[in-house]
This record gives sequence, structure tokens and C-alpha cells, in this order.
Amino acid sequence: MRDYWLSKMFFDLQQPAPAAEFKANRQAVFSKYPLDERVKKALLEDDAPFLAERTNAYLLRYYFFATGMKDAEFARRLREGPPRQIPRGNSDG
Amino acid sequence: MASFAGAFASSHGPLLVREWESIPQDEKTRLEKAFKELGRRVTAARPDVLVTVSPDHWANFFLDNYPAVCIGVGETNEGPPEPWMKSFPHREIPGHADFGFHFLNESLREGFEPSLSHHLKLDHGTCIPLWRMELPQMPALVPMLVNSIEPPMPSLARCLEWGKLLRKAIESFPGDLRVGILATGGLSHSIGEKTMGAIHEDFDRETIKLFSSSEKSLVDYLNRELPSRGNGSEEVRNWLVAHGAAGGRGFELVDYLPVPAVIVGCGFASWR
Repeated sequence: MRDYWLSKMFFDLQQPAPAAEFKANRQAVFSKYPLDERVKKALLEDDAPFLAERTNAYLLRYYFFATGMKDAEFARRLREGPPRQIPRGNSDG
Repeated sequence: MASFAGAFASSHGPLLVREWESIPQDEKTRLEKAFKELGRRVTAARPDVLVTVSPDHWANFFLDNYPAVCIGVGETNEGPPEPWMKSFPHREIPGHADFGFHFLNESLREGFEPSLSHHLKLDHGTCIPLWRMELPQMPALVPMLVNSIEPPMPSLARCLEWGKLLRKAIESFPGDLRVGILATGGLSHSIGEKTMGAIHEDFDRETIKLFSSSEKSLVDYLNRELPSRGNGSEEVRNWLVAHGAAGGRGFELVDYLPVPAVIVGCGFASWR
């Protein structure tokens, strides 16, 4: 499956100007594309497995490179997903 | 008439530039030696034109229109757009429009339908091998971009046929030219998927061996194995184009080494 606009954003971020804007304000760049809310959430959480199902693998690598993430961490996230949130106040005791 | 100057292949990968300094010294030494030896062989072949067979890593094409094969017919080609390739010494590389158009027209005459481009950006896939080979003089480049990164891709058998067609185009070109081929990419690697970083040395060595076997054995093996050997391994299509052009006689392996630091099974070859 290909999410066209997600892929288009990744493609555009290869250019210096959009990449600079992205570094300054990610949300502003996200808002330029008609992205699904689940996709935006995945972007904010660096949820590599979720995004990998929706775009080309090489574009995804470029995107995470643009975020400043090293390949080793990107690979780890692809395998394991984003770090899990530890639930607070577990009612089961 | 033009003549076939030789066919060569080299792996590529962004980390061969971005992480060059972090490659263990023994592996770096072997890589340097392999690139330079390949460069020496390309130089000795004296190509006036080098047809570079590589994927387009989203430098020229997007989902709006991603061709299976594109032939560059421009008078010039643009250097790599990646910011980390800014030290590559050529921002503009001469093309060879006459041979590019001849190849394109021969393709159409033979029932192949490539796209064409009058101006291509040559990304790291093409430029890293050219850079690391340290060619004393850059030949004119006719890029042939073969899709091996966004499914669906041209069949492996078709890539071999493309190579045979390229050889015919070289030998029917009405000009005194020496035309070489540089295929880039492969061997096994995995990018942007769960297995990212995996190198399948067994697959690489068997593939190398089968290049000296029958076309059927090679294609059957690759068709069977590629789906489970990492998406980057699909770039072996470019080696098949070179193989077809060289008459399928197998190549001399300059070197092969799996390099975890650049997450690529790195192969270097020149065809007999």
C-alpha cells in the first residue's frame, strides 16, 4: 500500500528548503499535506513499522535520516516499533 | 561502427560515503583496493561512453510516474542531489545524446518501450562507484535507470534481454566509439524494512557463482531467492543487464566482502 501524500512529503523533504523548514517546525510541514490523523500520530511518534506499511522503504529511510536519526536506531525501530509508553496507575495493582 | 569496451559492476550504498570513516580499517582497505582495481580496468578499456545502469533512488521520479526503464539522452547529466554527496567532484557530467538516442531508437525498434529523459540527476547509486574508482577522466555517461526499488519491477529475464539489446545497439551505432557498461547496486542488502542491515553472504556467493552458469540457472535462482534476501538485493537487475550485454560469459570477481558497517554485501566484477 502506498500513502501518496505521506510519500510525497518524504520525497519533497529531499530538497534543502523543505528539509530546513522541517527541522524548524515539523508540524508546519505536516500541515501542508492531507495526511490522515493516524499517519500524523505515527510521524510524531517515529513509528517506523506503521509508516513502513504505507510508503517506499527508501523514502522512509530518507525521512528518518532527515529527522537526524542514525540508521542503527532506524533499523531498531523498524524491528521493535517506537518505545512503549509505560502506563501509569495500573488499576490491576 | 562502435565497439563494446567491456562491462563492469560495483555495489553502492550511502554509507560508503556517510560512514566511510567508521568502516573497520581492514574492510576499508579492501574496498579501496577493489574500487581502484575496477577503476583501473575501466580506464584500461578506454570507453568514450559509459552506460551506467543503476536504479533511481527517488532523485528523478516519483509515484506520479515511475518508469521501469529510462534512458538518458541529454547532452549533460546533473551530479548527485543528495546533500551528503556535495563533495563529489562533478556537478555536471557530459552525456552522449547521439548514442543515447540510438539506444532508445534501437529499443523501440526491437519492441522495448523505455521512457527517456533529456536531463537526469545521477544520484549516489551511479556516482559513488564513479567517485571511489578514481577515474582519471570521466567518460561521457548515458544513464540507464532500471527500477529496482519500487514494485512492480521489470522481470529478471527482461533485464538480461535489455543487456543483449544494449550490446546490439552498441555494435550498430554508426560512429567510432568505444562503449562500456557500469552496472551498480547489489549485492544483498535490506533497506527500510524489518530486516534492515541484513547481509546474506550465502546468497551473494551463490549468485556470483551462478553468473558463470546458464542464464536459466541464474534467473531461476534469483526469482526463487530474491523475495527473502532483502529489498536492496533487487538491484542485481543491473548486473543482469551487464551480463546480457557481455554475452553471458561470466565475470572475473574483483572482490566480494560483506560490510556490516555499510549494510551491503559489496561486490565488484568485470566481465570476460
